[in-house]
Amino acid sequence: MTSSYLVFHLTGRLFGMKLQGAIEILPWRPSRPVPLSFQFVEGLLDYRGTVYPVFNLAQRVGLNRPGPIGFTADEQGQPAAGRSIILVEENKKSFGITVDGVAKMVKLEDGPAVLGKAQGIDPGFVKGCVYDDGQEIIILDFERLFNAG
Amino acid sequence: MDEGARFLILSLEGELYAIPITLLLEIKTAGEIRKDPNLTELFEGTFEFRGKGIPVVSAKKILKLPGKPGTALLVLKSRRGTLGLLVDAVMDILDTSQKPITLPPGVMSAGLRYYDGILRHKEKLVLLLNDDGLLP
Repeated sequence: MTSSYLVFHLTGRLFGMKLQGAIEILPWRPSRPVPLSFQFVEGLLDYRGTVYPVFNLAQRVGLNRPGPIGFTADEQGQPAAGRSIILVEENKKSFGITVDGVAKMVKLEDGPAVLGKAQGIDPGFVKGCVYDDGQEIIILDFERLFNAG
Repeated sequence: MDEGARFLILSLEGELYAIPITLLLEIKTAGEIRKDPNLTELFEGTFEFRGKGIPVVSAKKILKLPGKPGTALLVLKSRRGTLGLLVDAVMDILDTSQKPITLPPGVMSAGLRYYDGILRHKEKLVLLLNDDGLLP
């Protein structure tokens, strides 16, 4: 069995999410801020009739953002595609996450999660790591990440 | 039949907020707010309204927004008494059949009651303030 993953850049590392529900990728744009919200909440985004909460993924997983906001160099030193918002709809939940750039979609073998070097990230948020062409991709547990409140 | 509701649209630091117009008694300018040593620091002071001193709060201070308290004073009848609310500006009246959208989960602590929902006005999102949440 293989599963599809969306792979994206965040603070110079590769992260992945299993594609289950519908997703849409937008260039980053400002969200409507919500005073007194959690720190990792960028705000609300009104997009095609739905109001999405937009979460700053780097802040949520506790990564400090190096360099200028918006671009992160990839492995070859090229700037990744620009900062994006990934809109996710699954389990009747809709939300957006901000990433430094979308890298690719990959199909990967399902297997036991390999714990890798997901240093600096709360292990409770990490499902495991997968490897594609020798590159480590950290798979995040979205259920855990955005279930607060 | 029309089951619309009316909201007063106000601004704080460039973003829009709303209150149900049924709460509004009057719109004043923040002219004569008197310091009152009997009130805690959460209050800006009192304002003479219809022969009575009513407590005044700053919406920005409550929402922990930067900037000075605004210069428009809304006199509201909240569930807990008459209250003066300082905001930056009164923008508009929104007459709408929209049902406020519930704030999505995961945005803030569930116990906080600052907002009653989200409205749309001129392609912008508006946070509907909860009058209970406005009182310190």
